[in-house]
Amino acid sequence: MTHKLSILLIEDEKNICDFISTSLSAQDYRVTTAHTGQEALPVITSQCPDLILLDLGLPDMDGMEIIRQVRTWASIPIIVISARTQEQEKVRALDLGADDYLTKPIGTSELLARIRTALRHSNRLNTDSPLYKRPFHARELTIDFEKHLVTLAGQEVHLTQIEFKIISLLAQNSGRVMTYDSIISNIWGPYADDDNSILRVNMAHIRRKLEQNPAEPQYIFTEIGIGYRMIEDEMHS
Amino acid sequence: MNAAHPDKPPLSAPKSPPTRLHNWLITLSLLAVATLLASFFFCIMDNPTSNISLVYILAVFLVARFTSGYGYGLFASFFGVACVNFLFTFPFFKLNFTLTGYPITFVAMFTISSITSAITSNMKKQAQILSDREKILMEAEKEKMRANLLRAISHDLRTPLTSIIGSSTVYLENGANLTESQKSDLIRHILEDSNWLLNMVENLLSVTRINNVTAKVNKSSEPVEEVISEAVIRLKKRLPDAKINVKVPDDFLMIPMDAVLIEQVLINLMENAIVHSKSSEPVECSVDVSQSFVTFRVRDYGIGIPPEKLSTIFDGSSSTTSTATDGRKGMGIGLSICKTIISAHGGEIKAINHTHGAEFYFSLPKEDIKIDS
Repeated sequence: MTHKLSILLIEDEKNICDFISTSLSAQDYRVTTAHTGQEALPVITSQCPDLILLDLGLPDMDGMEIIRQVRTWASIPIIVISARTQEQEKVRALDLGADDYLTKPIGTSELLARIRTALRHSNRLNTDSPLYKRPFHARELTIDFEKHLVTLAGQEVHLTQIEFKIISLLAQNSGRVMTYDSIISNIWGPYADDDNSILRVNMAHIRRKLEQNPAEPQYIFTEIGIGYRMIEDEMHS
Repeated sequence: MNAAHPDKPPLSAPKSPPTRLHNWLITLSLLAVATLLASFFFCIMDNPTSNISLVYILAVFLVARFTSGYGYGLFASFFGVACVNFLFTFPFFKLNFTLTGYPITFVAMFTISSITSAITSNMKKQAQILSDREKILMEAEKEKMRANLLRAISHDLRTPLTSIIGSSTVYLENGANLTESQKSDLIRHILEDSNWLLNMVENLLSVTRINNVTAKVNKSSEPVEEVISEAVIRLKKRLPDAKINVKVPDDFLMIPMDAVLIEQVLINLMENAIVHSKSSEPVECSVDVSQSFVTFRVRDYGIGIPPEKLSTIFDGSSSTTSTATDGRKGMGIGLSICKTIISAHGGEIKAINHTHGAEFYFSLPKEDIKIDS
């Protein structure tokens, strides 16, 4: 790595700040910390970090406000860290433009995996996405977006048009959680019904075609109350 | 958990605003019906007076029964006497109280009405007192449960905290004299105990999702397989060696629930099975469907549950009485939380021993039964 990737950590708890920045520094990231929202916003504008880790419960302002402000001018990946187990909070943060979320307590390996995923996705956006065209591959599953072909251990899997659209969307965002609403508006358009049961049913069909045991999925994971997350693409470029 | 009063519905006079209008409506319609009936008798009978009086007496009785307070009954009896006098006895359309026997009818109707009113309002008061008393008892019971739970929790939380504090103190104070493996042992214990604490806290937190007043949860339709799979994944994050076999029906199944809570229940049950069964056989988690219920089963092939514990296993008290033979903490609280969650869903949870181990199962109603609107 020629230059260190920089991460801004916005978190008011000093102990948590310490352990996260220690573990990130050990992984060769350059970590800046901010303890309040007021402290953080100028740092974001002046230093343009490669990624922001944001605690939603800040003492001086709602973390949502930071997401909103940053998203007016930049697509820096934001990973939300939240002690709130309330799904609505997470969904709201994601819909405001956060890239992913982590719930406290955070395991370091999970944290690092999410950071890598978020950084990779932001790179894809910047390089004008020839990578999107490359087939997705994880374990036995390959998705060829151009040929509309899904294979599982070499065998072609027959999916309906909608099912293919859903799985492509998830694969293109592999490793990231996609909220029900964002999937629905991507597939069925912005005026689709709010009821997400049509998505759930389609997902059940997909799972029956892809997974050996739908109750122990290997490819598409459910985040109850929030959305779906596809297994990480194995072909890191 | 706010204590007593906000969740006390207004018991006294359940329909207080419409009462007065309501009472008048009852009184007037009963009297109207009585008058109609009386005119009917008057037209078809030769000597209808006694029947007509009876009809009014009946009306007065009913008015006194179905209204609150004496006033309506008295009004009805007065109206009845006046009506009989005015409409149905000679001279018609004139009030004449001098006819023989009238004072008696009069007095009789007044007496009936006032006694009936007295009896009914007394009855209502009695019922009120009874239900109030029941309410107070329930409230006391709830308080007792809360206190018990708090005691059990504090007791259970203290143990791992003691160990965490102890281990870290030892590490900080004697760090120089400890070998590397001793150090990592201490840290590992801290990690284990804090993970256990976290799990307990998550359990307790989940209970706050249950509505305090109605003891109900916010349900939405969720696919059973997704809930189970997430529960298994979350449990395996914590216990990577856990062996769990999952079987769900082939048919896609969505049932109304608070998925986060049901997930918590499944995790608790599976963890219990893994930790307490003392067996290396995989835990089985399965779902079966009947007409109106979906039943989740968590079955292990271990030592089973001591029979004397079966009946009280969900009470949450098993850990405080420290008969926890294997020294594991918190099982009682976890299970009592499971029970709270399942009850709030309108379902049932049971524990049984089968021939080779224990089975916990709970069922949830397929359709949301509207218990209260």
